Amino acid sequence: MSSEELLSLTGVARTVELPDGEDLHILTGVDLQVRRGDHVGIVGRSGTGKSTLLNLLGLLDRPTGGTLEWAGRNVTAISNRQAARIRGRDVGFVFQQFNLLPGRTALENVMAPLLYASGREFWQRRKRAAEMLDQVGLGDRLDAMPQFLSGGEQQRIAIARALVRTPSVVLADEPTGALDVETGAMVMKLLDQATYDSGAALITITHDQNVAALARRRFRLAGGRLHPLTEEAAA
Amino acid sequence: MRTALARLATGLAASTVEAWQELRIHKLRVLLSLVGVAVAVASITATVAAGQIAKQMFTESYDTEGRPAHISIMAYDDRNGMSLPVERVRPAFETVAERFGVSYASAKIFAYDIKATTPTRSKQIELLGVDPAYAAIHRVVVPQGRWLEESDKERLSPALVVDETFLKKLGLQGTRLPTSVELTGQGMSVTATIVGVTSMRGYGTARAFMLADSMTHWQTGAPTDASYEMWVPVEGADQLANEIGMAMRAELPGLQVDAHRDDYMAWGGEDPIGPIKWVIIGIAGIILLLGALSLLNIALVTIQQRIREIGIRRSFGATTGRVFFSVMMESVVATVVAGLIGVLLAVAVVKNPLVEKYVLQGIDDVPPFPLSAAFLGLVVALAVGALAGILPAMIAARVKIIDAIRF
Repeated sequence: MSSEELLSLTGVARTVELPDGEDLHILTGVDLQVRRGDHVGIVGRSGTGKSTLLNLLGLLDRPTGGTLEWAGRNVTAISNRQAARIRGRDVGFVFQQFNLLPGRTALENVMAPLLYASGREFWQRRKRAAEMLDQVGLGDRLDAMPQFLSGGEQQRIAIARALVRTPSVVLADEPTGALDVETGAMVMKLLDQATYDSGAALITITHDQNVAALARRRFRLAGGRLHPLTEEAAA
Repeated sequence: MRTALARLATGLAASTVEAWQELRIHKLRVLLSLVGVAVAVASITATVAAGQIAKQMFTESYDTEGRPAHISIMAYDDRNGMSLPVERVRPAFETVAERFGVSYASAKIFAYDIKATTPTRSKQIELLGVDPAYAAIHRVVVPQGRWLEESDKERLSPALVVDETFLKKLGLQGTRLPTSVELTGQGMSVTATIVGVTSMRGYGTARAFMLADSMTHWQTGAPTDASYEMWVPVEGADQLANEIGMAMRAELPGLQVDAHRDDYMAWGGEDPIGPIKWVIIGIAGIILLLGALSLLNIALVTIQQRIREIGIRRSFGATTGRVFFSVMMESVVATVVAGLIGVLLAVAVVKNPLVEKYVLQGIDDVPPFPLSAAFLGLVVALAVGALAGILPAMIAARVKIIDAIRF
């Protein structure tokens, strides 16, 4: 694994036990390497395990087989506390339903991840969040309540929130799923540019081929494995 | 070490910020919690404060009979049960008091059927001959004028301290002190000078105090209805009473002397207001339980609505411990604010001028609002917040991130 590699999955599997006692093999052997500055697109039909894979990548869940490495460190079986620390520092999430915190302004939403930071990051949270919102074009909507903003604006807040701690990986789960085509394209362009500018890797999981087409490396998730769709992906 | 401390400080500050945001957003919930807890804390604080003030009232009332430890001494002839003349017993009492190093000792000589006369009125009064130490022994407060002093025995017109009933019955209310009054009866006829007015409340009888020396000087025929008393430290007081009795008997050979403790603390119970205190604590406990249950109820309902939000926070890197602490802090911050309001409410009620005027009218030294009651109110609020926060915090900490985000 090169020093530029952030994430490395080797034969990663995830099996869950069904209520009737049967095992359901969602992922059977996922291999994936993600480097700094990468934009990886993963497409797949509903029920193929896209979200399960995203949960594993974001350390929200643990694999039941294979090896998962974060910057060269084996994190397959780390504690929840360690996972939370890595997640807070290195992972930014963008969700389909935006998942903005209700009742809080755009600025407070972007400041929220910085409440789990320490030192300067925490004490300068207002300044950093305002700068981040400015970068996504919402510098004049700091005090706006998300419910009064459009879907595109809400997703831009979510992008600002995902990037505010300058993570090394941004995980986007159907980021345009709740947006119209035009707004979705604009949001994807912004997400791609913002993550590229910050030096982070972007992993987009979607069922939308157009969204996946923006990624430099593309995979299809089927039968519990990733199948390269581009030559770069295979590389 | 320094990094760990800095991280702890940041964590605490961040949790407080989170808790405050949460409370701001859920104003209605906070308000409901606040009302319940504030009322409970106000009730507890007010009842505890009222209890302490009541204790003060009881203590004052009991102290007028003699502050603990109070030793009463009587000497009488065993053959006929008659009291002995003051001029015989008093020197023995003074000798014994001096020998035992008792600083507060006083004779208490009763004279009945004394008539007090002013230019406009004439009334029967009860006259007591005492020593200056009597005021300390019986917690006599003299809001107007002064109490009797040793030097008063030199006066040609004996000094008199009277109670409010005396003033009222003789129509002397509002009169400037000192003022004169004629005392007649039981071989006494003298113009006395009222130098002070006590706030003591008798049972409808006008009462006046005069130095025992003046009384024996001005009353023809030796007074006999007398007792003697001492105010001594509580520790070892019973033993001291026995020893004083023996010493008095030695001074008065062939006579019977009865010396015993008779203050309220010697009646058997350590604390005469004990039962009242338990009733107050019981009522306060029930109020608190109801407040805590309503808070817990509201907190449990709202936590179910916040599972998604908790999941989002977990995706930001919030650890289980941090989620637990934050939810707990919400409860604690809310109840501490409620507690502060409750304490202020209690102070406003207890220290209300109307309450002081009508409820506490019989009390000489109205104590300030007890700090311990205010402190107890805040501690109770904090404890209720922490206890009511534990269950929701446990539920929040056990939320599964993946399920929560998709909730």
